[in-house]
Amino acid sequence: MISVLMRVATVALGGLLVTTGLAGDSISEKARKLHFSSIVVDTHDDTTQRMLDPKFDVGSRQPMGSIDIPRMREGGLGAIFFSIWIPSKVTGPAAVQKALEQIDAVREQVRKHPKDLVLAATAEQIRQAHKNGKIAALMGVEGGHMINSDLGVLRRYAGLGVRYVTLTHSGNDEWADSSTDKAAHNGLTDFGRNVVREMNRLGVMVDISHVSDKTFYDALEVSRAPLLASHSSCRAICDAPRNMTDQMMKDLAAKGGVMQINYHVGFLSQEFRNAEKADPKINEAIAEEVTKRCSGDSNEGCMLIEGDRITREYVAKGALPRVEYTKIIEHIDHAVKVAGIDHVGLGSDFDGANMPYGMEDATMLPKITVALLEKGYSEGDVEKILGQNTLRLMTDVERVSRELNAKK
Amino acid sequence: MRSRRACLSFVSFLLVCWLMAPANADEIAERARKLHFSSIVLDTHDDTTQRFFSKDFDIAKRNADGSIDIPRMREGGMNAIFFSIWIDGRTLGPPAIQKALDQIDAVHENVRKNSKDMMFCRTADDVRRSHAQGKIAALIGVEGGHMIGNDIRMVRIFGDLGVRYMTLSHFYNDEWADSSTDKPAHNGLTDYGKHIVREMNRQGIMVDISHVSDKTFYDALEVSKAPLIASHSSCRALCSHVRDMSDDMIKALAAKGGVIQINYEVSFIDQAYKDASDKLSGGVVAIFDQLKKECGDDEECLGKKMNEMHDKAVAEGKLPHVSWERIIDHIDHAVKLVGADHVGLGSDFDGASMPEGMEDASKLPKITEALMRKGYKDEDIRKILGGNLLRVMEQNEKVSHELQAQ
Repeated sequence: MISVLMRVATVALGGLLVTTGLAGDSISEKARKLHFSSIVVDTHDDTTQRMLDPKFDVGSRQPMGSIDIPRMREGGLGAIFFSIWIPSKVTGPAAVQKALEQIDAVREQVRKHPKDLVLAATAEQIRQAHKNGKIAALMGVEGGHMINSDLGVLRRYAGLGVRYVTLTHSGNDEWADSSTDKAAHNGLTDFGRNVVREMNRLGVMVDISHVSDKTFYDALEVSRAPLLASHSSCRAICDAPRNMTDQMMKDLAAKGGVMQINYHVGFLSQEFRNAEKADPKINEAIAEEVTKRCSGDSNEGCMLIEGDRITREYVAKGALPRVEYTKIIEHIDHAVKVAGIDHVGLGSDFDGANMPYGMEDATMLPKITVALLEKGYSEGDVEKILGQNTLRLMTDVERVSRELNAKK
Repeated sequence: MRSRRACLSFVSFLLVCWLMAPANADEIAERARKLHFSSIVLDTHDDTTQRFFSKDFDIAKRNADGSIDIPRMREGGMNAIFFSIWIDGRTLGPPAIQKALDQIDAVHENVRKNSKDMMFCRTADDVRRSHAQGKIAALIGVEGGHMIGNDIRMVRIFGDLGVRYMTLSHFYNDEWADSSTDKPAHNGLTDYGKHIVREMNRQGIMVDISHVSDKTFYDALEVSKAPLIASHSSCRALCSHVRDMSDDMIKALAAKGGVIQINYEVSFIDQAYKDASDKLSGGVVAIFDQLKKECGDDEECLGKKMNEMHDKAVAEGKLPHVSWERIIDHIDHAVKLVGADHVGLGSDFDGASMPEGMEDASKLPKITEALMRKGYKDEDIRKILGGNLLRVMEQNEKVSHELQAQ
């Protein structure tokens, strides 16, 4: 209970800060205008798992988590990639079924909220949604294990609207190595390369978040279209294998790709990461507590939300360091300096990770625009980071798809 | 007096016959040809899908075996086809979903690779557009509720992938519906099964009652807000097989706007054949069970072996010859019973044993000619060839829109 109250208080305070900030300050006024006229795209949100709970309705303001229609509206989030995710250990036809269930859950929420949401599969459809005052809903499959080594399944996911596939999640799959598993394939297998080629043909973005460095370089070599890192931050600032090295960022950018900064505290802050490493029992205790609160099978939605909540309890106790949202800005700025302004975007990991203070949910997003303007970014540059880079990437991927289909 | 007049009129009848017959026959053949090749000829059940997984099969080329490929569809004027998604009814759960997904993909891929000849269609309007462009309309039906893996979400996923009908069961009961060829386990549709029918209505997926038990049929008829189809069933009054429909069922189906699509399988259309086959090998399900042991999960093998068995038994005189004209008898019986608005064609090509003279799609114009010779009006023939099914599709689409707007 205490944690819930605390959290509510924090959220309320955060909202207050933005509002008061906006009132007088000219940068804030400019930021507000810019933010709410821009297409703000977030390429990674784990809200999907919550949708499997029949009581969850994305249309009403939730006391927990980070994403729902009212809060997306409030924060000016105009396009969202709902992540289709199941743990790496679930494989075979069961993984296919579970992925399809989540795809259905997204499509059902869109069907139930036609005034606010519209399913989008192309950059143009996102622009159209923005024009019509609707939030564009897209889907990304977070982990190649969900295709069960079957290109037919990949094609049908694409047919259902999936617009990126992350080649692995935290475990290796049958054809690609993960950054958080022991290397088994030396990157991408031959089949894995075929998966990438088929994704190119289908116009499905190749997402290299989560994959091993070698898998990244293999994918970069094979792919005819630029790559996406849907939710990864900078290893130079926080040395996590899930983040990208400066060299990887440069190589991604050189081929037209975009990296979308992840807000997870364990990927943003070296201090937080060190504290986790110093006392592994903390994470074990959090995991145990999560399991206790989310009894029952495949309760991933609950587990993700509770994980974030319980982590905050440890921060409050002083067992883990407090990370501020300004860390996100540091990563964006570093990435822009290394990879260039055309190659950076936003991939929050909302509802699937531990958010820093001041970025508890989608309502806080205008703060990013404020902070970037304060740093001296031009309005055009801010718009690129907020969403235009992702739209350009999508457009490029769509063009490659058309070319490959025309060839036959 | 009476006898003289009768005699005179008989003589004049003969005279007329003699004068008219040859010219009339040619004229009918020509008129039938024109009618057939200007109509939308739609077949609601073809098991060609399973052949897509064979390296030897190419739908774009004329194949020496089987009944369906683009050249033979073109030759027979068949311009709309429901590819059947089918796996054995005892494969359940996630593997059933995955296999169904693979077959759905195979249809989409074959259409994409033959886009000059075929167009993937989801609505009656799509079918008309395809016809106007001179293409063959490709549609999908899922033959057996077991393929949703007892998961209602898969009904919507299949719908989103373009599935336009689902047969509630195949040869065996699934988790929520009884089959006509299995021991009743649910007394028709379970509550979950009724829920599934409602969801199909919402998604505009036609409810197909071929294969289901009579009780399941009546349950579905009661629950469904949209007209039903029997995608491939014939008339029990002419051939007493549980896979066929009784007159009462056909009437009840028609009363709610539905349509029965006549199946050409010999054991469903010919009583003598059915009786002999039952005696020889225990009937279609027993044969299937036996072949399943030989073929395992190779669905194409099942169809092929079934036909080989049939051909051999007929050649050896163990099973009688069945003429394609039995199809006409079934169409005519159904039309006499419920009118021309409720009957159509659901061949079961590539999934059953065809009668002589209807070996493949190229023979379809014979149906039009035979109906014309029987005195059917052009308008009614067009309905049977495809118009009725398009009407039912449209009604299902309308119900779907209404339910989604709620």
